[in-house]
Amino acid sequence: MATGLLQTKLYAPRRRRGLVPRPQLTDLLARGAETKLTLVSAPAGFGKTTLLAEWLSEAAEAGSATAWLSLDVGDNEPAVFWSHVIAALQGALPGVGTTALALLGSSGAPAAAVLAPLINELAAVPGQVVLVLDDYHAIDAPEIHDGMAFFLEHLPANLHLVITTRMDPALPLARLRARGELTEIRAADLRFTPDEAAAYFNGTMGLALTDANVADLERRTEGWIAALQLAGLSMQGRDDIAGFIAGFAGDDRYIVDYLVEEVLHRQSEQVRTFLLETSILTRLTGSLCDAVTLQAGGKATLEALERGNLFLVPLDDRRQWYRYHHLFADVLRVRLLDERPSMAHELHRRACEWHEAHGDRPEAIRHAMAGGDLARAADLVELAIPATVQARGEAKLRQWLEALPDELLKFRPVLSNAYAGTLLSRGELAGVEQRLQDAERWIDGRADAGIGEMVVADAAAFRQLPGSVAVHRAGQALMLGDVAATVAHARRAFDLVSADDHRARGGAAGLLALAAWRGGDLEAASGWYTAAMASLARAGHLSDVIGCGLALADIRLAQGRLAEALTVYERGLTLATGQGGRVLRGAADMHVGISTIFLERDNIAGARQHLIQADELGEDNGLPQNAYRSRVALAAVRRAEGDLHGALELLTAAERLYVNDFSPDVRPVAAVKARVLIAAGRLAEAADWARASGVAVADELSYIREFEHITLARLLLAQGAHETALLERLLTAAENGGRNGSVIEILVLLASARRAAGDAAGGRAALGRAMAMAGPAGYVRNVADEGASATPPTSARQPLVEPLSERELDVLRLLASDLDGPDIAHELYVSLNTLRTHTKNIFSKLGVNSRREAVRRASEIGLLTGTGRGR
Amino acid sequence: MRETPNPHEPGRYEIHLQGHLNSRWTAWFDGLTLSRESDGTTVISGLIVDQAALHGLLQKIRNTGLPLICVTCVEPNPASR
Repeated sequence: MATGLLQTKLYAPRRRRGLVPRPQLTDLLARGAETKLTLVSAPAGFGKTTLLAEWLSEAAEAGSATAWLSLDVGDNEPAVFWSHVIAALQGALPGVGTTALALLGSSGAPAAAVLAPLINELAAVPGQVVLVLDDYHAIDAPEIHDGMAFFLEHLPANLHLVITTRMDPALPLARLRARGELTEIRAADLRFTPDEAAAYFNGTMGLALTDANVADLERRTEGWIAALQLAGLSMQGRDDIAGFIAGFAGDDRYIVDYLVEEVLHRQSEQVRTFLLETSILTRLTGSLCDAVTLQAGGKATLEALERGNLFLVPLDDRRQWYRYHHLFADVLRVRLLDERPSMAHELHRRACEWHEAHGDRPEAIRHAMAGGDLARAADLVELAIPATVQARGEAKLRQWLEALPDELLKFRPVLSNAYAGTLLSRGELAGVEQRLQDAERWIDGRADAGIGEMVVADAAAFRQLPGSVAVHRAGQALMLGDVAATVAHARRAFDLVSADDHRARGGAAGLLALAAWRGGDLEAASGWYTAAMASLARAGHLSDVIGCGLALADIRLAQGRLAEALTVYERGLTLATGQGGRVLRGAADMHVGISTIFLERDNIAGARQHLIQADELGEDNGLPQNAYRSRVALAAVRRAEGDLHGALELLTAAERLYVNDFSPDVRPVAAVKARVLIAAGRLAEAADWARASGVAVADELSYIREFEHITLARLLLAQGAHETALLERLLTAAENGGRNGSVIEILVLLASARRAAGDAAGGRAALGRAMAMAGPAGYVRNVADEGASATPPTSARQPLVEPLSERELDVLRLLASDLDGPDIAHELYVSLNTLRTHTKNIFSKLGVNSRREAVRRASEIGLLTGTGRGR
Repeated sequence: MRETPNPHEPGRYEIHLQGHLNSRWTAWFDGLTLSRESDGTTVISGLIVDQAALHGLLQKIRNTGLPLICVTCVEPNPASR
């Protein structure tokens, strides 16, 4: 939308002169501002907006920051809706919501992720803030209602939300009502009382009606303000007022229809024509009216209509943009359609051309469709694709495409291909094949002349079509699980797309990377991911760059290149946090990744620290996978601390939170859990895992299942089987695949297996190789986990019958500080309950009953000096 | 047993409103029949293709501000007779 038009949506209508004062309602609104939400719910024409405008100016005078947003059907996309809400708030509170706006630009961010930073910033604003969402009934997207429900649930105490609507919104109203957090103003409250009607007719309108006249009007209109206003206009300057009132008092006709007729009768033919012809416009401005009516003087006419109170609502202070009152506009359109049915098409055509010439393509498309000129609409949609996709407006694009008939689409390859793209972007396969075939038919000239003529509006897009179709073909193949076809299409796409189409190049390279990864070719996969990240960075899709980084680091870890994996994470973190104070989504994932590498290097404190930082960014900062990945990482820290029970609990949660994306699941959470069970000696449960996952010694080996097969080897070893054959085969496979991370792990296991089988020399050889590889690569824990570490266990240094665990020593050190329980729990990243368990164990091992005694006893036996590890 | 409407197929509906609506509104309501009853109500009737179309129609009615009295599906599957 053009910026000027956005401003008209943010314009709070000014209080008008001579309004009937409604103190009981403005008082209700003022009291309502103490609650979370005021809902003004009533049919059209009940004075909702006018009342709000009046009260809002009072609120502003009383020192509140006030923001206004007039909604329309174009706001039915979450990204559009929230960016407009933020724009409205920024009008009152400059600079608020910049982080949220940035997040809206990244793909697929859930409402909570976008709203959390906005809510925090609003809560930090000093003073009261009032946000009015006018005409909320225009919104019907469930995602927006969900986002609004979240927003309301977390609404800062200093923010008050006001919604005006013609129907009750799909928000948790009952809950708000029950908690006393909702103020409602409904039709029964809004309708004019007889006293207000009298004040309006005899005061504002300057008529001299008797009480009986007023009572008749009040009864006939049932206090409906729009009808009373129309009646007032009809009676101005009329001699026979009593006759007029009698004329419609006993009549069943639709009162607005009747009264508009009366009002129109009193206008000149020129004004009447102007009203009918411009009724098709959503918003009016002088030059637009001139273009539609083919007359001059539109601006003057609009000003005259406003002066005459003819239901024209100004949308700015400069008298540039207006709209008709909704009810009035509908009645005018009905008349236009009835009186001049063929005219509407031509009027829409003129409006379409004006908007296209003035840079408002979405409104031009709306008029082309409303006027039934679908070919023109299709041309405009085609031209609108690049800007719409850039603005993440896939939902809008889809609405347009769905409104166009197939008969038209199939001759338009650019549109057919874009349709396939919008389907794929939402993970839908149905219909993709047909659309792509419709596009391809015209690319390779296979279409014979008999079926019709191809139509292209955007010649540049048509030139890029072969590459774009190939990207979509690759995406389709990937969704179908066909790796070979994905590679073939993506490779073709990469060759076809132009060098400066960074988005398409990034997409093709990313698909090639994914296919190579799934096929186990790590070298090729990392090369393509690096290329994809470079292209996506150039295209400005930073969140996607971070997402690719996650995959690349996983691959580096499999290759045993810890330092390179760390570099990938650190670069991702710099990218996510270096955007001028705002933190991009995915920063949390980078901290979690860094934590796993620190742990591999046996820096437990550092690993824990990064998990705390990830946690502080909030769950919403993570990419979808972070919910389970962060728990797996924390479980690894717990395990390293000797808290196997805690590790298992976290892994159970991680299993529940696992999300499947296109990446291969090379470290299934169930197998990670089985490893902890093995370490805990719970071999029967680990064996259950092996049965359930179906891994067997005789399996053919593949990269995808390598982690599970190594887990099986660990289980067999723990069960006392001298199984070296599986490990030897795994070793060969890992060496051939260049997976040094796996090679080191397998060698350590092989050393134990060989020793157990009586082959001491073979064991030493394997361990020697493992150490030689692990040292330079930075691996410590992998080797240490198998008891090959040279560090004496902590217990050796403790003069206790039952030594404290590493974790308990951490707790003990903090017990010696000034921190209270909740702070210690926070510091250690555990729940208060877990902390209590640790404390109880420490007390019992030290033989004490209080924190003070524990600290004294620990100092006596030297547990509080120089025992820090990794700090 | 009573025939239940299939939400994805056309059905014949009657919508009763409080107040008389002029016949000029026929085009506005996409050619549906408007009849004015002696009790001061208007009945809008005709074939409605699916639920989406029905809701679109109800929204148009809401925008007039005329009180809605009732909506009835009088003939669920006129095509399958």
